[in-house]
Amino acid sequence: MNGIHDLGGMHGIGPIAPEKEEPVFHADWERRMFGLFIAAFAGGHYNVDEFRHAIERMAPAEYLTASYYEHWLHSLETLLVEKGVLKKEELDAKIAALAKEGS
Amino acid sequence: MSLLTPDSVPTVVTTGASTRRASQAVTPRFKLGDRVVARNLNPIGHTRLPRYVRGKHGVIHHDHGLFVFPDTSAHGEGDKPQHVYSVRFESRELWGAIADPRASLYIDLWEDYLERA
Repeated sequence: MNGIHDLGGMHGIGPIAPEKEEPVFHADWERRMFGLFIAAFAGGHYNVDEFRHAIERMAPAEYLTASYYEHWLHSLETLLVEKGVLKKEELDAKIAALAKEGS
Repeated sequence: MSLLTPDSVPTVVTTGASTRRASQAVTPRFKLGDRVVARNLNPIGHTRLPRYVRGKHGVIHHDHGLFVFPDTSAHGEGDKPQHVYSVRFESRELWGAIADPRASLYIDLWEDYLERA
Protein backbone atom coordinates (compact mmCIF):
# COMPACT_ATOMS: atom_id res chain seq x y z
CA MET A 1 0.00 0.00 0.00
CA ASN A 2 1.13 3.55 -0.65
CA GLY A 3 1.17 4.36 3.06
CA ILE A 4 2.91 6.78 5.38
CA HIS A 5 5.53 4.11 6.24
CA ASP A 6 7.04 4.46 2.75
CA LEU A 7 9.03 7.57 3.66
CA GLY A 8 11.92 7.19 1.20
CA GLY A 9 12.53 10.44 -0.67
CA MET A 10 10.27 12.62 1.48
CA HIS A 11 11.51 16.04 2.54
CA GLY A 12 10.98 18.06 5.70
CA ILE A 13 11.20 15.29 8.28
CA GLY A 14 14.62 16.34 9.53
CA PRO A 15 17.87 14.46 9.94
CA ILE A 16 18.12 11.02 11.51
CA ALA A 17 19.49 11.45 15.03
CA PRO A 18 21.00 8.17 16.25
CA GLU A 19 20.98 7.87 20.01
CA LYS A 20 24.39 7.45 21.64
CA GLU A 21 24.69 4.27 23.74
CA GLU A 22 21.15 3.38 22.79
CA PRO A 23 19.68 0.79 25.18
CA VAL A 24 17.96 -2.28 23.71
CA PHE A 25 14.79 -1.25 25.54
CA HIS A 26 13.92 2.23 26.79
CA ALA A 27 11.33 0.98 29.26
CA ASP A 28 10.18 -2.31 30.74
CA TRP A 29 7.00 -2.31 28.69
CA GLU A 30 9.14 -2.40 25.53
CA ARG A 31 10.91 -5.54 26.78
CA ARG A 32 7.50 -7.05 27.45
CA MET A 33 6.26 -6.06 23.99
CA PHE A 34 9.20 -7.88 22.42
CA GLY A 35 8.32 -11.00 24.40
CA LEU A 36 4.64 -10.74 23.47
CA PHE A 37 5.56 -10.49 19.79
CA ILE A 38 7.56 -13.72 19.99
CA ALA A 39 4.92 -15.51 22.07
CA ALA A 40 2.01 -14.59 19.78
CA PHE A 41 4.10 -15.45 16.70
CA ALA A 42 4.95 -18.80 18.27
CA GLY A 43 1.25 -19.28 18.96
CA GLY A 44 0.70 -19.17 15.21
CA HIS A 45 -1.35 -15.97 15.23
CA TYR A 46 0.52 -14.19 12.41
CA ASN A 47 3.59 -14.21 10.23
CA VAL A 48 6.12 -11.39 10.00
CA ASP A 49 4.59 -9.96 6.80
CA GLU A 50 1.12 -9.73 8.33
CA PHE A 51 2.73 -8.07 11.35
CA ARG A 52 4.47 -5.44 9.18
CA HIS A 53 1.33 -4.81 7.15
CA ALA A 54 -0.74 -4.17 10.29
CA ILE A 55 1.80 -1.47 11.21
CA GLU A 56 1.43 0.08 7.75
CA ARG A 57 -2.33 0.22 8.24
CA MET A 58 -2.02 2.57 11.23
CA ALA A 59 -3.61 6.00 10.80
CA PRO A 60 -0.85 8.14 9.20
CA ALA A 61 -0.67 10.83 11.91
CA GLU A 62 -0.59 8.18 14.62
CA TYR A 63 2.11 6.26 12.77
CA LEU A 64 4.38 9.31 12.66
CA THR A 65 4.00 10.21 16.32
CA ALA A 66 4.15 6.69 17.83
CA SER A 67 7.42 5.06 18.86
CA TYR A 68 8.91 1.87 17.45
CA TYR A 69 7.45 -0.52 20.02
CA GLU A 70 4.13 1.36 20.00
CA HIS A 71 3.95 0.33 16.34
CA TRP A 72 4.46 -3.27 17.47
CA LEU A 73 1.74 -2.97 20.11
CA HIS A 74 -0.67 -1.50 17.59
CA SER A 75 0.01 -4.36 15.17
CA LEU A 76 -0.39 -7.01 17.87
CA GLU A 77 -3.73 -5.56 19.00
CA THR A 78 -5.00 -5.19 15.42
CA LEU A 79 -4.12 -8.75 14.43
CA LEU A 80 -5.36 -10.44 17.61
CA VAL A 81 -8.71 -8.66 17.24
CA GLU A 82 -8.96 -9.41 13.50
CA LYS A 83 -8.19 -13.07 14.07
CA GLY A 84 -10.72 -13.37 16.87
CA VAL A 85 -8.23 -14.04 19.67
CA LEU A 86 -9.31 -10.89 21.48
CA LYS A 87 -12.59 -9.01 21.29
CA LYS A 88 -12.35 -5.28 20.60
CA GLU A 89 -14.69 -4.66 23.57
CA GLU A 90 -12.45 -6.71 25.89
CA LEU A 91 -9.42 -4.74 24.79
CA ASP A 92 -11.16 -1.37 25.15
CA ALA A 93 -12.50 -2.32 28.58
CA LYS A 94 -9.05 -3.38 29.79
CA ILE A 95 -7.43 -0.18 28.48
CA ALA A 96 -10.16 1.91 30.19
CA ALA A 97 -9.68 0.01 33.47
CA LEU A 98 -5.90 0.48 33.37
CA ALA A 99 -6.28 4.18 32.53
CA LYS A 100 -8.60 4.57 35.53
CA GLU A 101 -6.14 2.71 37.74
CA GLY A 102 -3.31 4.94 36.59
CA SER A 103 -5.14 8.25 36.97
CA MET B 1 1.68 -22.75 11.30
CA SER B 2 4.46 -24.32 13.36
CA LEU B 3 4.85 -23.56 17.02
CA LEU B 4 8.07 -22.23 18.44
CA THR B 5 10.11 -24.83 20.29
CA PRO B 6 12.43 -23.91 23.20
CA ASP B 7 15.57 -24.89 21.25
CA SER B 8 14.62 -22.63 18.33
CA VAL B 9 14.06 -19.50 20.45
CA PRO B 10 17.67 -18.20 20.28
CA THR B 11 17.67 -18.51 16.46
CA VAL B 12 14.32 -16.78 16.09
CA VAL B 13 15.36 -13.94 18.40
CA THR B 14 18.69 -13.41 16.61
CA THR B 15 17.51 -13.80 13.02
CA GLY B 16 14.04 -12.31 13.39
CA ALA B 17 12.60 -15.57 12.03
CA SER B 18 14.17 -15.34 8.58
CA THR B 19 11.86 -16.12 5.66
CA ARG B 20 14.73 -17.57 3.61
CA ARG B 21 13.94 -20.83 1.86
CA ALA B 22 17.43 -22.31 1.56
CA SER B 23 16.33 -25.88 0.89
CA GLN B 24 14.32 -25.12 -2.24
CA ALA B 25 15.64 -24.57 -5.75
CA VAL B 26 14.00 -22.20 -8.22
CA THR B 27 15.76 -21.07 -11.39
CA PRO B 28 16.49 -17.34 -11.15
CA ARG B 29 14.99 -15.18 -13.88
CA PHE B 30 17.89 -12.71 -13.78
CA LYS B 31 21.66 -13.02 -13.60
CA LEU B 32 24.30 -10.60 -12.35
CA GLY B 33 24.69 -7.60 -14.63
CA ASP B 34 21.20 -7.87 -16.15
CA ARG B 35 19.49 -4.53 -16.71
CA VAL B 36 16.09 -4.40 -15.07
CA VAL B 37 13.27 -1.97 -14.42
CA ALA B 38 11.24 -1.93 -11.20
CA ARG B 39 7.57 -2.47 -12.00
CA ASN B 40 5.08 0.29 -11.30
CA LEU B 41 3.00 -1.69 -8.81
CA ASN B 42 0.59 0.06 -6.46
CA PRO B 43 -1.08 -2.74 -4.51
CA ILE B 44 -3.60 -1.90 -1.81
CA GLY B 45 -2.05 -4.66 0.32
CA HIS B 46 1.49 -5.21 1.59
CA THR B 47 4.55 -4.71 -0.58
CA ARG B 48 8.23 -4.08 0.03
CA LEU B 49 8.69 -2.25 -3.26
CA PRO B 50 9.22 1.41 -2.27
CA ARG B 51 7.60 4.12 -4.34
CA TYR B 52 10.88 5.82 -5.20
CA VAL B 53 12.19 2.89 -7.29
CA ARG B 54 9.01 2.15 -9.26
CA GLY B 55 9.60 2.63 -12.97
CA LYS B 56 13.34 3.16 -12.42
CA HIS B 57 16.11 1.31 -14.22
CA GLY B 58 18.83 -0.58 -12.38
CA VAL B 59 21.30 -3.46 -12.65
CA ILE B 60 21.29 -6.83 -10.86
CA HIS B 61 24.23 -6.75 -8.45
CA HIS B 62 23.75 -9.87 -6.32
CA ASP B 63 21.35 -12.80 -5.91
CA HIS B 64 20.52 -13.38 -2.22
CA GLY B 65 18.65 -16.63 -2.88
CA LEU B 66 15.05 -17.62 -2.24
CA PHE B 67 12.77 -15.83 0.20
CA VAL B 68 9.06 -15.89 0.96
CA PHE B 69 7.20 -13.24 -1.07
CA PRO B 70 5.82 -10.65 1.41
CA ASP B 71 3.07 -9.43 -0.93
CA THR B 72 1.29 -12.80 -0.83
CA SER B 73 2.46 -13.98 2.60
CA ALA B 74 0.93 -10.94 4.33
CA HIS B 75 -2.51 -11.88 2.99
CA GLY B 76 -2.67 -15.65 3.45
CA GLU B 77 -2.01 -16.17 -0.27
CA GLY B 78 0.97 -18.47 0.08
CA ASP B 79 4.75 -18.23 0.40
CA LYS B 80 5.52 -17.96 -3.34
CA PRO B 81 9.30 -18.23 -2.64
CA GLN B 82 11.40 -16.38 -5.19
CA HIS B 83 14.84 -14.89 -5.71
CA VAL B 84 15.65 -11.62 -4.00
CA TYR B 85 18.26 -9.51 -5.74
CA SER B 86 20.39 -6.60 -4.67
CA VAL B 87 19.71 -4.09 -7.44
CA ARG B 88 21.93 -1.09 -8.08
CA PHE B 89 20.29 2.19 -9.06
CA GLU B 90 22.24 5.31 -9.98
CA SER B 91 21.27 8.19 -7.68
CA ARG B 92 20.62 10.34 -10.76
CA GLU B 93 18.13 7.75 -12.02
CA LEU B 94 16.25 8.00 -8.71
CA TRP B 95 16.55 11.68 -7.87
CA GLY B 96 17.47 13.51 -11.05
CA ALA B 97 20.04 16.19 -11.67
CA ILE B 98 20.47 17.28 -8.04
CA ALA B 99 21.91 13.86 -7.12
CA ASP B 100 25.62 13.10 -6.86
CA PRO B 101 26.61 11.60 -10.24
CA ARG B 102 28.99 9.16 -8.50
CA ALA B 103 26.47 7.89 -5.96
CA SER B 104 24.25 4.84 -6.27
CA LEU B 105 21.81 2.89 -4.13
CA TYR B 106 21.66 -0.87 -3.61
CA ILE B 107 18.25 -2.16 -2.65
CA ASP B 108 16.96 -5.71 -2.16
CA LEU B 109 14.01 -6.49 -4.42
CA TRP B 110 11.94 -9.63 -4.96
CA GLU B 111 11.86 -11.07 -8.50
CA ASP B 112 8.17 -10.24 -9.02
CA TYR B 113 9.02 -6.54 -8.57
CA LEU B 114 11.31 -6.58 -11.61
CA GLU B 115 11.10 -6.75 -15.38
CA ARG B 116 13.86 -7.07 -17.93
CA ALA B 117 14.83 -3.61 -19.21
